[in-house]
Amino acid sequence: MTDAMKVLIVEDEMLLAMDIEAIIEDSGHQVLGEAASLEEVERLPDSLDPQLAFVDLHLANGSNGLDVCKLIQQRWPDALVVFVTANVAQIPEDFVGAHGVIAKPFSHAGVVNAIHYLAQGVFDPPPHSLRPASLIPSPHLELRWAVM
Amino acid sequence: MKQRDDWHLTDVLDYEHGRGDPFAAAVRATRMPMVITDPAQDDNPIVFCNVAFQELTGYAREEIIGRNCRFLQGPDTDPDAVARVRRAIDQGHDIDVDLLNYRKDGSRFWNALYMSPVRDKDGIIRFFFASQLDVTERVEAHNIINQQKELVEQEVERRTADLRAALEAKTILLHEVDHRVKNNLTMIGSLLRLQVRTIEDPAIMAKLDSMLERVDALAVVHRQLYQSSDITKFDIGAFAESLTLDVVGASGRADIQTEIDAGPLFVNPAHASALGLILNEILTNAIKHGFANGRSGTLRLLVSDDDERGVIRICDDGPGLICQKRTKSIGMSLVTRLARQASAEAVWSDGAPGTCVTITFPYNGTPK
Repeated sequence: MTDAMKVLIVEDEMLLAMDIEAIIEDSGHQVLGEAASLEEVERLPDSLDPQLAFVDLHLANGSNGLDVCKLIQQRWPDALVVFVTANVAQIPEDFVGAHGVIAKPFSHAGVVNAIHYLAQGVFDPPPHSLRPASLIPSPHLELRWAVM
Repeated sequence: MKQRDDWHLTDVLDYEHGRGDPFAAAVRATRMPMVITDPAQDDNPIVFCNVAFQELTGYAREEIIGRNCRFLQGPDTDPDAVARVRRAIDQGHDIDVDLLNYRKDGSRFWNALYMSPVRDKDGIIRFFFASQLDVTERVEAHNIINQQKELVEQEVERRTADLRAALEAKTILLHEVDHRVKNNLTMIGSLLRLQVRTIEDPAIMAKLDSMLERVDALAVVHRQLYQSSDITKFDIGAFAESLTLDVVGASGRADIQTEIDAGPLFVNPAHASALGLILNEILTNAIKHGFANGRSGTLRLLVSDDDERGVIRICDDGPGLICQKRTKSIGMSLVTRLARQASAEAVWSDGAPGTCVTITFPYNGTPK
């Protein structure tokens, strides 16, 4: 592993947040923070500056991942946003600017491989590994990495 | 002489108008009610009516002659239909219309009126000739059919709405159940993983890891099933490929290469979980034994079919069967029992070098 990615987790199911955090850290990356709702993302400091955010669609206090995705793009325009959700069908065609989705139920291997692939995309794009089946890229990310 | 020239026959029959005229006699005697009106007189009165017309309307000849036809109309006669008759008379063309008329006794009947102008040789309208036909039965039958049709349509509409509501409720329920299955599978995996981290004994940890891999394989099966557009078949080819990449990737073994030759191959989804677990056991086994002690190499996956059975071959290029300890693990017993459940067969063979496992199973076909 070359560098450690700075990752934000937005997930209201604490078990899953803990699990994803452990998988990220086992993969040699750094979890900057966790949020369970849109409000909690709003309260995070600007200085956080994540390189990758895993975002659930269904969040606490009636908030949703689509709005969180827009907020993240406003605050930290360089961050990759990847939805982690069981409701893949609810994601709009343009992914509201997000870069991909990992469908629940995810496997440990699926998340590990996706993180590995995304890290290559963050530090040395485009990724040289084969894209794992667990990660479905948004059309614009696929295009961005295809033309490089 | 052609049929359409038949009416010229009257020209050669030289009869004086009056009682002896066979055509006048025919009009008088026919069962078809008929009248003739004279537009030259004030208000276009009836100047002739036959017996059938008197019988139809219940009026005597002296009550009919000299009156305009409108005396047959009543409160429920359609004014639009009447207006059409008036317009036809004004414009001098014929008209065919159903009118609701009233008899002398006040009873109603549907009158299929056909009225046409009779012109002289200069083209001037001399008379209007009108025939009537009592079509009450036809019109009423038609009305009854229309009413019943409307009732049936209302009933169908009501039942369709019921069915639609029931379907919607079922769809919501199905969605909810599906969502819970997905969430619970995700949580089971997460719970197991969190537990694994707290275990120090490597033997127990290895067993729990195997358990986790099995739960993950089930999760991948379920995910592929719900994301598929056709729930009646499961693409074991795509599954085998993605599971192979998952398992190799998760092993963290960058020194294990993969060679994959897999196209779509569909199986009954009822066997998806069993076949998925079998593949998982064989793949994780290959990583553990075929590439043990940090030995690098290539893992091969081949998905194909002969005429009757789907075939998946998983081969490592490791030390081969002789060097593998065939312990009484749950993995072997899982493969044997699940194979029986899915009507599948798993055969181990020495690939020299390496070990090959060939799994054959019933399949539903490949896309042509």
